[in-house]
Amino acid sequence: MSAKTRRIVAGVSGLAATSFLAGCAKDAPQDTWQPKGSNAKIIDDLQQPVFAIAGVVGVIVFCVVVYCIIKFRDRGQAMPEQTHGKPALEIGMTILPALILAGVGVFTFRTVFDLSKTSDTQMVVNVTGQQWWWEYDYPAQPELGITAPIITSGQMVIPVGTKVLLRETSRDVIHSYWIPALNGKRDAVPGRVHTLRLDADKPGIYAGQCTEFCGLSHANMRMETIALSKEDFAAWVANQLADAKSPAENTLAKEGEAVFLNQCVRCHQVNGLKKADGTPAIAAPDENVWSGVAPNLTHLMSRNTFAGASWDLLNKKCRADVWGASSETVGKKYLAGVSEECLNQTDLRRWLRNAPAMKPMYADPTQLTPTNGKYRGMPNLGLSEDDIDKLVAYLSTLK
Amino acid sequence: MFTPGSKFFLGLTGFSIAVCVLYIALVDNATGGAVALLSIATASGLVAGLSLFNRDGEVSVGDTAAPAGAEQLTSSMWPLIATVGFVGVVAGLITHPIVFFLGLIALLAAGTEWLIQSWSEGASSDKAYNASLRGRMLHPLEFPVLALVGLGIIILSFSRVMLAVSRDAGAIIFIVAGAVVLFAGSVFALKPSLKKTLVVGICVASAVGVAASGIAAASNGLRDDLVKAKKEHHFSHKECGEEEGEHFDHLAEGTISMRSNPIATVELRDGKLTARELGVDKVTQTITFPRSNDATIIFRNKDEREARLTAYLGTKAVQDGVVEEVLNCTQMIGIDHEQALTFKIAKPSMASEKPYTLTVPGLEGQSIEIMVP
Repeated sequence: MSAKTRRIVAGVSGLAATSFLAGCAKDAPQDTWQPKGSNAKIIDDLQQPVFAIAGVVGVIVFCVVVYCIIKFRDRGQAMPEQTHGKPALEIGMTILPALILAGVGVFTFRTVFDLSKTSDTQMVVNVTGQQWWWEYDYPAQPELGITAPIITSGQMVIPVGTKVLLRETSRDVIHSYWIPALNGKRDAVPGRVHTLRLDADKPGIYAGQCTEFCGLSHANMRMETIALSKEDFAAWVANQLADAKSPAENTLAKEGEAVFLNQCVRCHQVNGLKKADGTPAIAAPDENVWSGVAPNLTHLMSRNTFAGASWDLLNKKCRADVWGASSETVGKKYLAGVSEECLNQTDLRRWLRNAPAMKPMYADPTQLTPTNGKYRGMPNLGLSEDDIDKLVAYLSTLK
Repeated sequence: MFTPGSKFFLGLTGFSIAVCVLYIALVDNATGGAVALLSIATASGLVAGLSLFNRDGEVSVGDTAAPAGAEQLTSSMWPLIATVGFVGVVAGLITHPIVFFLGLIALLAAGTEWLIQSWSEGASSDKAYNASLRGRMLHPLEFPVLALVGLGIIILSFSRVMLAVSRDAGAIIFIVAGAVVLFAGSVFALKPSLKKTLVVGICVASAVGVAASGIAAASNGLRDDLVKAKKEHHFSHKECGEEEGEHFDHLAEGTISMRSNPIATVELRDGKLTARELGVDKVTQTITFPRSNDATIIFRNKDEREARLTAYLGTKAVQDGVVEEVLNCTQMIGIDHEQALTFKIAKPSMASEKPYTLTVPGLEGQSIEIMVP
């Protein structure tokens, strides 16, 4: 074997080994091969045998091709006799793949119908995508303790072992909702409502990612589904139904509330927040943001992430503690929210200082003609460091 | 060495690159234009390579063709049209954008035709070969464009006729026109021995007839109810009470596209109003509606009288201190009929003094609450 051939063989072998070993990654939260819910298992039950069949066919074809390349390579021999067609072989090579595909098709159709079943739904969540975050609103469902609508973003919380129906739509462009461990993906399309059912076997945090290219920050449009035990879910609901409390007078957080009222409430709603005259502060994102909404921040610190679930509200140590928790303890740790000690101040401050620098967005005030002056994403508000200190103090109170 | 086709595309490649360099040098924020020009250069370079490789797809003709430029050039109308286009562009700059764009289209079309005709006439001394070369380059462009323009004129003319005549007459004209087209097409198909000039004559006469009718109808104006609707801002003032609607499109209930994915279905049956949300297998008196997002509700009338669904969508300030209710509604729906209602609510329910509701005018005590989180 020449040196050149050895180099090629070594390179190809290295590439193959790297690809093979990549399948052994442990920290792979978006692994489709580890289903954690019934619908994901239905998909897995189909994809495992289909992958095996496709693998066997692929290996056979590959081996035959390699055999032919080596066996019949040009060694200066005479051109073999040329024939036109071989009916028996051609018919056989048509019927065999057709039978394989028909077999796969039967099970695929059955899976599709199984996945589309919604008649035994136990809970409904409306999921709306917009550039570049997901909003979840829970309609009132008294049987689950949800006596009034709940609205949140980034992280969707569901009770474990409950069949949850997501009704997906979008406010701007096409997005796609995908939590690999819990179900397949489903597009969220403006003007349409698509349904997707999912449930989780065990409490845990299940990560996902928008899977339809949706613009500048598509890669930063993430989401998590948090499955909690039924008791923990009831506690979460009770907290979400409560209004935010105003901070105590003469505190930094109270000054932050004033900054929030001055700067942030134009787009971000905090339920229970009142203006100086005592009337409720109602956000008007439809006047400022192209999609017409901005995340509701009433219980910001009950979530682990912010800005489209792309940055952590928890610092590294606390995040590892929550995300690495067992299914028995994850609920309590999640419900503890973001304490002052655990708050990832670095990223939150960077965000408040200049959001578009962290997450590419259409937020340059000089280039908003196509959207009639409305932002797509959060602009740089030009906050002073003093205002940022106050805002962080206020946001920390939104448990 | 170089075939006629490859010369042309190589020239285009070089020209595109040169223009691209100039564009980048002279224009600020030139990314989009530079990408477009480089794409043209890449595509034409690729085609040049292919032309060169396969000898323009006609090796025998290309190889045996006599040297270029030996034949006289034919007369051309393109310089005249290019001049008209240029004048249109200049005149459009000071009169109206439409004049500018029509001039620009004429200028670009004439430039393309002129360029390729001139190039093809110099390709060889064989006039027939040159003509076929021109045809190969331009027919894929000319035929679809001419077909589009022709069809556009006929469709526009026919639509003017339909807007000018009464609804009943429109239906009759539509049926008769369809029958005539079907009959003529059948005759042409079954009688292939018909003279080509006769077929062409019938088609041209029909097209001219439609175009002339369209011009006459357009000059005559819209029919009365459309004139009225136009004055009233195209049905924007809807009646949302119990009164009979005068201004609606009475075929709106057939709007399938709006009904393809409703967020909920509201049904009136035996004097009771109920709702059923998409994906939820039970009736409800409250529907959750996404904030700041257009969504559609289907109203289904199973009652024993005509009814309409009216949505109360809050209030809006019309002038200082004066607010009025924002209503949206379906038309009066017949028994066993249904219609879509699409609207958007930008404010959450908590921002409204009164709940957002769906009601049927004249039906007391029945309403569906719209909850906007």
